[in-house]
Parts: sequence; C-alpha cells; structure tokens
Amino acid sequence: MSLNFYRRVAFGLSPNEKPDKDPLNWAINQLDTIPDLLWPGTIPTEKDLRKKYGEWVYGDREVLRKKFKNDKHAYRKAKDELRIKTGERYFELNEHAIRHFQTKYSKQPVLERFWLFWGNHFAISEKDFLAEFSTGPYQREIIRPNMVKTFEEMVQSVTTSWCMIHHLDNSESFGPNSKKGMEWGETINENHARELLELHTVSPNAGYTQEDVIQLAYIMTGWAHKWDRKNLETGDIWFDQEMHQKGDKIVLGVKYKNDAKRELAKVIHDLATHPICIKFVSTKLCRHFITDEPTDEMIKPVIEAWNKSNGNLIEIHKAVITQAYKYNENTHKFHPPEIWLMQLSRMFDLNIPLSFEKMNYTFKSKPNNRQRQLSWILREIGHSPYRAKQPNGWSDLEVDWVSPELLLRRFWFASVELPMLVKSGNRSHDFILTCLKNNFDDHENMASLIENFRFGISDYDLGQKYGVICNLPGVLKI
Amino acid sequence: MNCTRRNFLIGGSTTLFLSGYFPKISFASMQKKNLIIISLRGGMDGLTAVPVIGDKRLKKLRKKLILEDVLNLNSDFGLHPKLEIFHKLWQKNQAAFVHATNIPYTGRSHFDGQNLMETGAHIPYKEKTGWLGRGLLASNIIGKGLAISLPMPLLLRGVPQNNNFFPSPDFVETKLIDQIYNEFKGEHNELIKSTLDTIRQRPLSMQIATDSDDRKKLALEAAKQLKDQSGPRVAVFDLDGFDTHAAQGGVDGAHADELEEVNKIVTILHENLGQAFDNTLILTLTEFGRTIKQNGGYGTEHGYGSAILMAGGLLKKSQVYTDWPGLKKKELFEGRDLNSTVDSRAVYNSAMSICFNQDPEFLRKEVFWGDQLPDLSQELFKI
Repeated sequence: MSLNFYRRVAFGLSPNEKPDKDPLNWAINQLDTIPDLLWPGTIPTEKDLRKKYGEWVYGDREVLRKKFKNDKHAYRKAKDELRIKTGERYFELNEHAIRHFQTKYSKQPVLERFWLFWGNHFAISEKDFLAEFSTGPYQREIIRPNMVKTFEEMVQSVTTSWCMIHHLDNSESFGPNSKKGMEWGETINENHARELLELHTVSPNAGYTQEDVIQLAYIMTGWAHKWDRKNLETGDIWFDQEMHQKGDKIVLGVKYKNDAKRELAKVIHDLATHPICIKFVSTKLCRHFITDEPTDEMIKPVIEAWNKSNGNLIEIHKAVITQAYKYNENTHKFHPPEIWLMQLSRMFDLNIPLSFEKMNYTFKSKPNNRQRQLSWILREIGHSPYRAKQPNGWSDLEVDWVSPELLLRRFWFASVELPMLVKSGNRSHDFILTCLKNNFDDHENMASLIENFRFGISDYDLGQKYGVICNLPGVLKI
Repeated sequence: MNCTRRNFLIGGSTTLFLSGYFPKISFASMQKKNLIIISLRGGMDGLTAVPVIGDKRLKKLRKKLILEDVLNLNSDFGLHPKLEIFHKLWQKNQAAFVHATNIPYTGRSHFDGQNLMETGAHIPYKEKTGWLGRGLLASNIIGKGLAISLPMPLLLRGVPQNNNFFPSPDFVETKLIDQIYNEFKGEHNELIKSTLDTIRQRPLSMQIATDSDDRKKLALEAAKQLKDQSGPRVAVFDLDGFDTHAAQGGVDGAHADELEEVNKIVTILHENLGQAFDNTLILTLTEFGRTIKQNGGYGTEHGYGSAILMAGGLLKKSQVYTDWPGLKKKELFEGRDLNSTVDSRAVYNSAMSICFNQDPEFLRKEVFWGDQLPDLSQELFKI
C-alpha cells in the first residue's frame, strides 16, 4: 500500500508517527467515536459567541449609527473600538486555531477529514457576521457530534440551527395565511427551503418543481430566531406558530398534514432517506476521498452501506474509506489549499497554530499579527474556510482550484512564509529527508530535487527546498 | 459588411468560410478589440439598476424598495444613482442597456443559474466549459483571456492558457517552477502543467505586482494589460453579493452597494483604457433577476428577467434595448417575475462576433450549439 493513503484519508504522518501494518484498519478504527477537541485554549460555546454577535450588531446598529449619524469619522472610530470590545476581529482567528490544532494533533485524523467534509456539505457561506462569530462554533457543536448519528439526524440539527436559519433567511419567511403573515402582509422567503432540497438533501436530480420549493418553504415557516430589542436577531431558534402557514402541504408528491412544528421532522425524514439524496451525498463523499468523477462502481458499496444501516454515518464513513483504500493505487485526487496546508503542517510539524497562551485575547486592543497569521495564510492561499462565497460551499473539483494565481499562492506560501514556520530544531536537511521518507514512496526522487541546497538552513534555503517539495505533483495531489 | 459574408456562408462549410474570412481578420487585427465581462453573482435586480419610470404596480409591490433621485435615461427608464459612470457615458453614446433579458433558465437556483450563465447551456453542470472560452477557441484566440479573481472562472474555461491576476503579498520566484516543471507527467497532471506554462509566460508587470486587497489596483492592472496591443483581449471580473433577500433597500441599500462596485470598476477601466476604450465592450452577466414584489425582509426573491449593463466605444448608441413585456400580473413570468424577452446569450454572441471579428452565425454554431440566437450586432454595436 502506498504511503499516500495517509494523505488521501487524513493529513499524512507527523515526524513521530509511523505507518501502520494495516492501514485500512488504522483508518476504519477511527470512525466510531468523536474525540474531544484538543485545543488547550478557550473554546467558547455557540451561545456565548451568539451573545457577542448580539452585542456587536446591537452596539453598531442601535447605538453608534444613531449617536454618530452626522459624523462619519467619529462613527468609524467608535465602531473600531466596539470591534475590539466584542471580539469581532478575534473569534474567527481562535476558531481557525482550534480547527487547525485538531487536524494537526488528532489521534483520529480520518474522522477529522469527515468533519471538514460535512462542514462544507452543510456550508455556511460568507454572510453578515457569521464567519466572525458563528460558523466555527456551528461546525463544532452542530456538525461534529452528529458524525456518529444518522444522516437524517444531522440534517435535522443543521436545519434548525441558529446559524443555518440565519444564513438562509428562514426567520424572514412568513406563511401568507399565518396570523403574522396576514396581519403584516408578509410572505415566504424560499431561500432555506430551496437549499435544503438542492444542496443538503435530494439535489436537483430529484426533479422538484417551484411548487415543491414553495410547499417546503410553507412547512418551514415558523422556524425562526426569537427577536427582542436588546439581542435583535441573535435570540434562540424556536417554532413560532403565528408565522406558520396553515393547511396541508405537498412536497415531491408526499402529503404533509397540517401538524405545526412536527411537519418539518416528517419532511426531513422523507428527504434524508430519499434514494436520490442517498446517491447524491454518496457521490459527494466518494468525490472527496477518491476522485473528481467517481464511477457508479465506486459509489455503489457506499449506497449499500447507507441503505443497510439506515443512514448511520459511522457505517457510511467506513464504506467510503474502504472504497478509498480499494482505489488508492489507480485514482488521483487534488487537494484544496486548506487540506494541503493542514497536511504540510502535520507532516513537517510546522509552527502553526500559535500557542494557546499567545492566542489569548484581552478585548482591549486589536489582535496582533501573530494571532492573525494562520487566518491570513488561509485567506492568501485562497481558502478561508468559513468564507465560501455561496451556500454550496467550496468546490471539490481540481479545475476550480487550478489557476495561475492559485498555484502561485502555493509557491508563495511554501517559499516565503513556510520557512518562518519551521521550528528551530527542525531546520536541518536531515529533518526534511526523514519527513519525506515517512510520507512519500518516491522520497528519493524528491530528495534529489533539493540536493543542491542540502547544506542550507537559512530561511532562503528552506524556502528553496520547501518551495519545490510542497508543489510537486505528488504533494498537490495523490 | 454583413451582406457578402452572410451570402458567402450559406451552404458553405467551415473551411470555406475560414478561407474566405481571413483577409477580414488581418484587417481587423490592426486594432485590438477588448471584451470585458463583469459577472454579478447572486441575481442582479434589473429593476433596481435600470428602473422603469412611473409604473404604479411596481410602486405598490415594492413600497420599501423604490428609488428616489434616479438618474434620467429616457421617458421610460431611469438609472440607479450609484451607476454614475454609465450615466456619464450615456451622454456620449458609450453606455447602453438591454432590459428584460436573461439566459433561458427559469429554475431560480443560484448554483444552477450561475453554472448556466457561464456555460451558456440548458442543463446545469452538463458542460464543463464557458461560452467565452469556447468563443475564444472557435476564433483561434489563444492565451488572451484574463480573469481578475483567484480561481479561474468557468466562463473562461475551454480555451487553454488563460491568465488570471490576483497577486500574492510577496514576489514569487518563478524559477522554482522551472525546477519542478518536468515532474508533471501523465494525463492527470496536464491541467496543472498547462497552468504552469501560463505563469511562465506572464508579462513582467504581472510577475512583480503584489497585493490584491485593492480592487482599484486590480482594475488598473487589467486596464494596463488590455491597453497593450499584444495583451489580453478578454477580461473577466467577478462580483458577488447581489442576492439581496433582505434589506435590499433603495438608494443606499445592499443592492446599491453592489452596483457601486460595478460603477467603480467601469470608472477605472474607462479612465485608464484611454483610447483603447473606443475599442472595448464591457458587459455584465448575471444568473437571473429578482421578483417584482418585495419579500418579508424588504428584499426580493430569485426571479427571471434582468438587465445587461453595457459600456464602451463599440456600442452603437445610448439606448435601452428592450421588448418590454410589462409588469401586469399576467405579463409577468409565472405571475411574479419580470419576463425575459431577449435571450441574453444573443447579446453575448453578438458582442463576441464584434470583438473577435467573427461571423455571429459561425459563433452561434460553435459556441451555443446552433441555438436560435438572433444577431443583434446591427442594433447594439458599431460594425
């Protein structure tokens, strides 16, 4: 078995890990439990961060905008102070550190890959202040614990999460015949219903119509955040009967009787167990771990595992990894920048993220450059994880990640930034050779390409070496 | 000029056509023509950008979204006040609009819609190349596409060796690439390898430029490249944020902020292209328009018909080109959206024919599978 399997399903092997005798078992045994987050620093709860979100938007919208409505400059200054006070510029950096620390040190790196996958399947794209306060905790508290449950349970949690409801505007969706809809002359907002069908479950392959979208939106009316003058839109999610469309609904030919808040669970059950949904999501899983265009033959055992286990994600994940193992030697998969960075960090034990002590924040001044470093790198290599542009998340296709600039950014990172992240004890040429040997079957050829710099340990020399190594075809893809 | 060419084409094969067409290309190539597309992702609201004046129904359905102080275009249409540069160019016959237009897609999904606006096809995700890429390839214009974004947009795919510009914070030594270039072997490494080729052929100013935070700088560099006779002939800008489900607002709302971005880019291009602006066409592209009626969040939902904003010296005249479908309930698409009476692909096909010196019939077949797209060159562009 090629060593690349450890990068296909995980992040490669760190200098103190050794290849396992039975790589398939090694990988499969990681999928039964959810390990704790390892980050020794602060891990705030979703609810705490939502409170901060509230303080920030309330302070800006309700206080500062009114107070400084005639003074642009004073307004800007006060707003910057509020950013500092509420951590508006800090929490995303801390989340990136938590995430990266996990993929770097986890004893179950294969499970962590699935964590990244599901966070992107149920993506929260860049909107309002979700990346600043909410997407990180959403991935920790909503996505993560569901990875040992069923797909259906995951969809239920995601669909009623504050983060997704805010992301896709469901709090602004009123049943036109509901009490509030009639009183205020309001109507539905289809956004969440459409994405639940299109992206999260059955995909357009199911052939749903505009009427199906409308009917599902009716079912979803009432699932909204609580609103009050002090917390604005950051209240908890509840079911507001006065917003809910009355009457029976029909989605994809199935009738849902007027049943208030219970309608949603019923329709999610039908969508999440729909054969087209199962095929759609199985295909995405295979695409992520095997190759951009997985064949029916590759996908079939995953669908079978899904059906046999009634959508149990542990069994589905095991089937995916088994397939990834089976096709490891004759398929190729390109890795997007974030995974590439995580792999380099684990394989070469890079000095990211910053230590938790140094990530501490006092809410008194702007986060410093060191604290911003990891997030800045992610942005510059084109893959800031909570800032996908659209609700369909980041692409999993090579063609979307190969452009002159995106490749140049990788050369930039490896040759300019990476040398500054090499730990002082790891600057020797031998260290690089050991890491290569640990992770690549063709390590000898790789070593020959940097042979000229074998005596160099300056940042420049390291830049020349890592610039070459990190961008070889066998590192950019497996 | 079209007459002879058309007659010649009827019944003629592609080869025949090409042989008869060559003199024309060499004549036209003396002046490079630029085609610039600005993608407006999220669904641009044509009725906010180019509002119809005095429509009572619109006022009633969009109480919270109506614009005050629109710029005047003609007796029927106004212009959003943030689109100043278009208004300025309108006076000089260098801005125009196509209204009630869209790609033939009515599914209201961003992702399907954006896929189709770029591929120009009918079935989402079926085609892997963009209409602009295919148009360049059919016109044998290779390595002349420039994208102003980090990823390479689907729109430009289908023709090899496109460039994109979105420089990293520091200078990158391209000799690193030379050292590993030969390691990219086999079919599965072809895409990366050809992209490395493009990097190695970049002009110096692109190689040494740094910092992409400044939209202005990017548009400036694009203008510089486009101005160069041997530089790119096509540029693609990418803007998003048009999906204003909530707080769309009027003059200062969320949609206005996005239109301001369009205005900024066109202003910089206009200022810095200089004479080359006379040989340029700038067109916007979006996946769909938005509903007539405002929604619960004072935003709008995904709709159908939108508008194309156009600028440049290759426009025939200032005009709002439209076959206006009306906004009465029965005139709307599915009773809720502005209808589309012009297949926007006809506009893009005609624009390519002008900028690439190609016969529109030929492009229609090569790029859009022979779909029924009328040639609008005479109506819209200088020929």
